[in-house]
Amino acid sequence: MAMARPAGGRSMRNAVELVLALTARDLKLRYQGSVLGWAWSLARPLALGAVLAFALGRVLGTGITAEFLLAGLFPWFWFQGAVQGASGSFIGNGGLLKKVRFPRAVLPLSTVLGATLQFLLSLPVLIGFVVASGHGPGPAWLGLPLVFALQLGLTAGLGLFVASVTVYFRDLEHITEVLLTLLFYGTPIIYAAELVPEGYRWLTYVNPLAPIMEGWRGILLDGELPPASHLGASAVLTAAALAVGWAVFRRLEDGFADAI
Amino acid sequence: MPTPSEGEVVVAARGVSRRYPLAVPGQALKTTLLHPGQALAAWRRRGRRELWAVRDVTFEVRRGEFFSIVGANGSGKSTLLRLLAGLSKPTRGTVELQGRVSTLLELGSGFHPQVSGRENVIMNGLLMGRTKREMEALLPRIVEFAGLREFIDQPMRTYSSGMYVRLGFAIAAFMEPEVLLVDEVLAVGDAKFQEKCYDHIARLQREGVTIVMVSHDLGAVERFSDRAALMERGRMVAVGPPRKVVGLHLERLAETSPEIRQAIEEGMAADEEGVRRRLAEDPEWAAEFAAALERHPGFHEKLRQEAGKGRADDARAD
Repeated sequence: MAMARPAGGRSMRNAVELVLALTARDLKLRYQGSVLGWAWSLARPLALGAVLAFALGRVLGTGITAEFLLAGLFPWFWFQGAVQGASGSFIGNGGLLKKVRFPRAVLPLSTVLGATLQFLLSLPVLIGFVVASGHGPGPAWLGLPLVFALQLGLTAGLGLFVASVTVYFRDLEHITEVLLTLLFYGTPIIYAAELVPEGYRWLTYVNPLAPIMEGWRGILLDGELPPASHLGASAVLTAAALAVGWAVFRRLEDGFADAI
Repeated sequence: MPTPSEGEVVVAARGVSRRYPLAVPGQALKTTLLHPGQALAAWRRRGRRELWAVRDVTFEVRRGEFFSIVGANGSGKSTLLRLLAGLSKPTRGTVELQGRVSTLLELGSGFHPQVSGRENVIMNGLLMGRTKREMEALLPRIVEFAGLREFIDQPMRTYSSGMYVRLGFAIAAFMEPEVLLVDEVLAVGDAKFQEKCYDHIARLQREGVTIVMVSHDLGAVERFSDRAALMERGRMVAVGPPRKVVGLHLERLAETSPEIRQAIEEGMAADEEGVRRRLAEDPEWAAEFAAALERHPGFHEKLRQEAGKGRADDARAD
């Protein structure tokens, strides 16, 4: 097999610094010149939460509450922003990929990290809503890092996958957009998983995002962790997403510079 | 100075070939869905629509050597350099490089126009595998060389193209490379900075840095190279003393197709003086060149016109 790897490899430190620098630059550029800055990342979940709380809760009278919606919408927008952003991260940096040799995975990973930082920065606001609505912190909150890690792993795996395949199959960027919309309604975000009719319940078992969303809500609002079987299934699916995403990326990365 | 011919091999290409598909038909989902027959036919044909940009190239460069690659546009020399840089993988054969490699392919690529020069320098260094601390230490020298001290904290969209080029070269030049791969980048920028770049390259050469350069600047190739190679339609057809290889290149240029000739004429116009000096100094080469030109009266005419113009300029200067 042909090899063209210059000797004197890179340090892990370099890769970490590179991801952090790219992330910082992206975030800085996104809010450069805007008055409200990162507060804009709150706008979408808050606005959608308010509208849905009114439409579903008041108009349709389902009794759904704002904190229920927000506990799903905040993590959802993290997931959606990261995957959608990652899908264009290679094709959007074609010049760089063609001219400079660097660990290419840093591009989608820094996009995912950027969305993650935005989510973490918005988390106090979500927690503020949850606490204000009378759900104080409890021991179950110690499970939050677990749900966070599951979602981060799933997002990184999917991000690597769509970013890599989009280089060869540009339509995937648009397909991703459509699929994310479908996934939004197909995942128990604006409804509880228990409300799904028995015949369709399997959908929430094959959807790796479903137990994660249930996890955020269960911990924040009900003070209990989701069943271990759900978390276990989610962990397996997350590990699979990471493995497949990484394998696909490794398989395809050598052709990026020529395909873009 | 140690003779490079005795040094250890730091750049080696063995039987390197690179194939590119000429077009990728049926890639769009729309075409595939609406015209499945067409898409299938294109898929069946796919193997035939291809181009071997580099064919079976084998060569070695030793530590401290300055190796130039010349050739007409489209001869595969830039592709070869991309393969050496690891930006593209050979379809066949192997490429091996030893030591820290710095590449200068198209200056200023990888700069982000919205952030400052300083941040771009750091980011470029990180992309090339350096740590932030190393880059911060190198920064003053880079800025000094590029002559951008008062602009370094401005966003790069405010830079002129010359400033882009200067910063790009300065970064690559101060990365303390052991192997420097340079692709036709010094054609841009003002003459004064170009001279500064060549001075720096000469200094790196004296320090024992191995340099592989792709260039149309035949004057520079002759001035700096220890050895040169000529690429033609993907093949390395000649390797040897720069003077001989450049001579062969000019001769071949005059013989080849009108399109390639046109491209070469443009390259030669930049080094018209070098060609004229050669004609005056090297009777044997001049005879060869003249014989080649004889077969192409149009090309000959153009060169003679330019030479005449040059003489007129000289006369005025006197």
